[in-house]
Amino acid sequence: MTAAGSIPQAVIAPELAWVGLAILLPLLSAILCALCAALRVKSKLPALITTVALAGSCFVIVKAYFAYSGPVEVPIFQWITFEWGDGKFQSFTADCALYIDSLTLYWMLFVTGLGTLITIYASEYMEEDCGKGYSRFFFGMSIFLFSMGALVMGDNLVMLYLGWEGVGLASYLLVGYYYERPSAVEAAKKAFIMNRIGDLGLALGIFMLWCNYGTLQYGELFAAMKDGGQTSVDWDLSVIPFLLMIGAFGKSAQIPLFTWLPDAMEGPTPVSALIHAATMVTAGVFLIARMYPFFELHPQALATVAWVGGSTALVAATIGMAQYDFKRVFAYSTISQLGYMFLGLGVGTTFGACYHTLTHAFFKALLFLTAGAIMHGFAGQLDLRKLSGLRQMPGWRIVSWTMLVGCLWLSAFPYTAAFFSKDAILFKALTSERGDFRFLGWVGLATAGLTAYYTFRVWFRICAGPVHYEAGPESHDQSHDQSHDQSHDKGKPDPTPEGESHGAFHPHAPRWAINGVLVILAIGAVVVGFPAYGHVFAHKENWVQAMMASSSAYQGACLESDHGTGAAVHTQTVLGLDPHTGLTIVGSTASIGGILIAWYFHLYSRKSADQLRAALLRRWWIRWVPICMENRWYVDEIYLACFRLPMWIGAQILNFGDRHFLDGVLVDGLAKFPIAVGKVFRPLYSGALQSYAITMTGGVALVLAWVTWIWLRGFN
Amino acid sequence: MNLIWVSILFPLVAAVVIAVGPSKSARWVAFFGTLVSLGALTIFAWNFPAWHNAQHFPSDVGPSWIKDAGTTLSVGFDTVSLLLALLTAFLMPLCILGSFSAITERTKEYYAWFLVLGSSIILAFAARDAILFYIGYEFTLVPMTLIIAIYGGSERRVAATKMFLYTFLGSMFMLAALLYLGWEHRLVSGAWDFDIDTLTKTAIRLPSAIQYWLFAALMVGFAVKIPLFPLHTWLPLAHDQAPTAGSVILASAMLKLGTYGNYRFALPMAPAGGAELMSLVAVLAIIAIIYASLICWVQTDAKKLIAYSSVAHLGLCMLGLFALNPVGAEGAVFYMVNHGLSTGALFLCIGMFYERYHTKDTDVLGGLAKRMPVWSSFMVLFTLSSIGLPGLNGFVGEFLCLGGTFISEHDGLTGYPGVLGPWYAVVAGLGLIFAAMYLLILLGKIVWGVYREPPHISSSTSHGGEATRLPRDLCLREIVILTPLAVACVWLGLQPKPMLDAIAPCAEKMLANYPKEIERHMSHTSAAPLASNDQEPVNELRSE
Repeated sequence: MTAAGSIPQAVIAPELAWVGLAILLPLLSAILCALCAALRVKSKLPALITTVALAGSCFVIVKAYFAYSGPVEVPIFQWITFEWGDGKFQSFTADCALYIDSLTLYWMLFVTGLGTLITIYASEYMEEDCGKGYSRFFFGMSIFLFSMGALVMGDNLVMLYLGWEGVGLASYLLVGYYYERPSAVEAAKKAFIMNRIGDLGLALGIFMLWCNYGTLQYGELFAAMKDGGQTSVDWDLSVIPFLLMIGAFGKSAQIPLFTWLPDAMEGPTPVSALIHAATMVTAGVFLIARMYPFFELHPQALATVAWVGGSTALVAATIGMAQYDFKRVFAYSTISQLGYMFLGLGVGTTFGACYHTLTHAFFKALLFLTAGAIMHGFAGQLDLRKLSGLRQMPGWRIVSWTMLVGCLWLSAFPYTAAFFSKDAILFKALTSERGDFRFLGWVGLATAGLTAYYTFRVWFRICAGPVHYEAGPESHDQSHDQSHDQSHDKGKPDPTPEGESHGAFHPHAPRWAINGVLVILAIGAVVVGFPAYGHVFAHKENWVQAMMASSSAYQGACLESDHGTGAAVHTQTVLGLDPHTGLTIVGSTASIGGILIAWYFHLYSRKSADQLRAALLRRWWIRWVPICMENRWYVDEIYLACFRLPMWIGAQILNFGDRHFLDGVLVDGLAKFPIAVGKVFRPLYSGALQSYAITMTGGVALVLAWVTWIWLRGFN
Repeated sequence: MNLIWVSILFPLVAAVVIAVGPSKSARWVAFFGTLVSLGALTIFAWNFPAWHNAQHFPSDVGPSWIKDAGTTLSVGFDTVSLLLALLTAFLMPLCILGSFSAITERTKEYYAWFLVLGSSIILAFAARDAILFYIGYEFTLVPMTLIIAIYGGSERRVAATKMFLYTFLGSMFMLAALLYLGWEHRLVSGAWDFDIDTLTKTAIRLPSAIQYWLFAALMVGFAVKIPLFPLHTWLPLAHDQAPTAGSVILASAMLKLGTYGNYRFALPMAPAGGAELMSLVAVLAIIAIIYASLICWVQTDAKKLIAYSSVAHLGLCMLGLFALNPVGAEGAVFYMVNHGLSTGALFLCIGMFYERYHTKDTDVLGGLAKRMPVWSSFMVLFTLSSIGLPGLNGFVGEFLCLGGTFISEHDGLTGYPGVLGPWYAVVAGLGLIFAAMYLLILLGKIVWGVYREPPHISSSTSHGGEATRLPRDLCLREIVILTPLAVACVWLGLQPKPMLDAIAPCAEKMLANYPKEIERHMSHTSAAPLASNDQEPVNELRSE
């Protein structure tokens, strides 16, 4: 699995059909959960079913990983397939089949692994809903894992599209899980619709690929790619990467389609962790990595990805700095980190992008799950100003310290896994021959500083400092109180004096399922650093690089061998130093500097944060910065004004016009015509004999005149 | 052949029995009648020998009917018409079951007319004689008008009259075209004949100019029925006023007569006209998609919303058909069946909450997920099918229609050149986004959210009749109605292959003359600008 000059030819291996279990098991679990819902099961059975199915799916993938020896195609059954001739462009094939290469396995390993862990976490997190929405929740989770499996493992782009929309459906069902909250319904709808915009781009990209290569199967596409396509539609071959990109931007919440992701936080937190942080949103990265060769069809395609990624990283980070809802902070940090991944893809390191996907999956899932535990324990409290000093409260230690791990990783603290994965991306950008990529590299470094600041702003506020808390909006919820009583037996924290204002409210600390998963994820976040540690300290080959090098994303694997020979690499310097050393120094400085600033404003002297804000707001020339950041740069409002409102007005006009003009004037008007004609001639039928005689005479005269005229004309 | 006649005539016999029998048993007789019809068609389909070729079966000429006019009672199916007839026969018993609680007055008439409606639709699909087709096609209007006018809402008279006159007027053009073809055939062969295959053979030999008008006349007739923008305005009103089962049959089966008419008559009979008017129809179809989708967006009446969404969906179906390549044609035929299933199911779902709350206004009613979880699950499933979620049936047709449109310009390589191309697909593709918008808004209002009920519901329960007997969530009968539809939606989404294989030969047969005609048409139109280009330099030279 080392250096490769091209994408290895896939072998057809029907005997590997058992790998399909990785998709089938979640589907079975979805069916069983639906049955549970129909039978109104009141126990935790759906969670058990889902956990077992996902663990099985994970096991299948691990087994496939150890059995893997080269790309394979595994046919399962024929899906949308028909032909009308023998030629290359005279059949349409989209079978249900698997394409398994190292990229597939790489993705599925962390998707199924995290899926299993988060399901275990959710079994405790959602327990208040047992017998209500419990089955529905795990149905959604199973559908998600099924769709994600189809997306990653499918052997053609239509399968990918199936998974692509399927994860969108799962996201819709799960974001809208608390369907009695109007905001949740609205957010679910928004997520689906914004994704649909991206999906249209993807669908058009798929059609365009078919038009050029006559196939949609990865193996055949990569082979046909070498021969070049033959196109005869109006559009040029080079639009393909741009169309695919739109799909990726929609799914991975990049500019301009990013506004749905923060709203999607309305869903239960395990959903945010799994779908909106660790896995689904990385589908865009997967798509680009999978179709990487096609992004060379246009010289500016990858540059566009880089620019969109870089600017998304910066913009999302600036918004994240000014939010008080810590789940939203993490949501914006997800967008920002996804921006890094796109930047990595754009500047040409699929290795960096995919490695960052992996590390991000772990530390961001960890962060969301700790956030969920806090939110759960404090009755939905999400305002980081209303919680403090959790670190010192009994029962919250594991949450606080695992959250610290997540925060260190997110802020790319030196020698954490994320430090290396972010480093891989920024290194490639800063050593690029292109000036604009080097500029984006510096933007990325600055963003790293902002990231460290807003991450530790959350941690210093919530986990450090004096103990103080306020209950969230759900504290008067009946069902919530019931579960309180249950958890009272397990070592409850003493009601601290600071909590007195809320008399009856007792935060309930998480139990083993949540704590256990948090610890495992924290360990996982450390473990995913091993490929980089091995590379840095023992000069071993980076496992992730090896995985990329034998897949369709080989061109960006950045292997040592390419790297050493690439003359361009060392002509670039970072601050006059060797790029490796320079980047380590600058990156570490940005990270630690950000943390220190956060420490000053949010732990050492919390008042000064408000003073700074007030000071900024007083000065007219700088006011717009905090205002815009707090209001998310008004992107939602701009979209409302530019797209939704005009369309809505247009729709109202059309609706009115349809009823009153098209139907009212044209159709009914035409229908009145015979009646009007009848009215004109009605006086003739008066019943008086004389008038009939006159009419008859007139008629005969007319006929005679006509006959005479014809007769005369005939003579001429 | 006998089985076909059984499926057509048995419901009529049942209708007579209902008319003379007691009103108590009417609904069960009707249910039995439709079940026999479905059974007969299913057995016929099971033994159907022509699944993989485009032949009609049975192909022999039926008994002569009006000898001098050359009309016969020939019936027979090819796969497309068989699928559509099966769809109709499949929906009929479900609609009868769905009417049990909705229709409480004048039940005998209702069920009798409903059976007549089903029979005439199946007759239209089965007919191999143009006049027989016309009779089935036109006769659907009589029972449908009565069903709307007697059992409909407050504006039922207006709606029924408008539907009858509008579609009747449209089909006059179609009848004229068919009679003209019969006459043309008499000029060639000396005898009247209305066999559809014979007429097709006659028609394609006609000169292009005549084919153009022939196509236009047939198209006008079918466009009203589909309905294609701007001839659609009768539909929302009719749907709004019709009783639930009437809406289901109207949307799922009757509208398909329009698209089927295109497949069976307009496109194969007048390829020269089709090639010339292809882009015009495609543009109208795209306007229908965007226009109807936007109107859906601001509808507050659930039934009208689904009615307008039918206009949009069938616009996409027509676009696929007029891409005039196998991908689009397969998609279009698949879409006809899908639309019948998912839209029919949506109308049934809406009818079910209408019976409980007596309103379709999404502004006053909502948040039913908590009160009616079973109903909500079905509603979500059918909405997703209608949105075109992959893995459900809607996707296959939608994806292929759009794909067919996109590749329509791909000259030579597919064997089927076209003039539509990517930009048509882009604009039509916006319809997919809009579909997600308006259908999810509908879901967001009536399924999700906080429970809201109309203010009059508490008063209506005190003196309310039948409706109060319904349980809060679906009863077993209603689950029995929706389950087969749900299974069909999922099954066709996951296993479309058998149906695609069955449609393929028919699609190719329909398109047989198009590659040649379109190439001629394109060379004709592209030659004109070339010629003018050649002339311009000459003019310049002259002026110099």
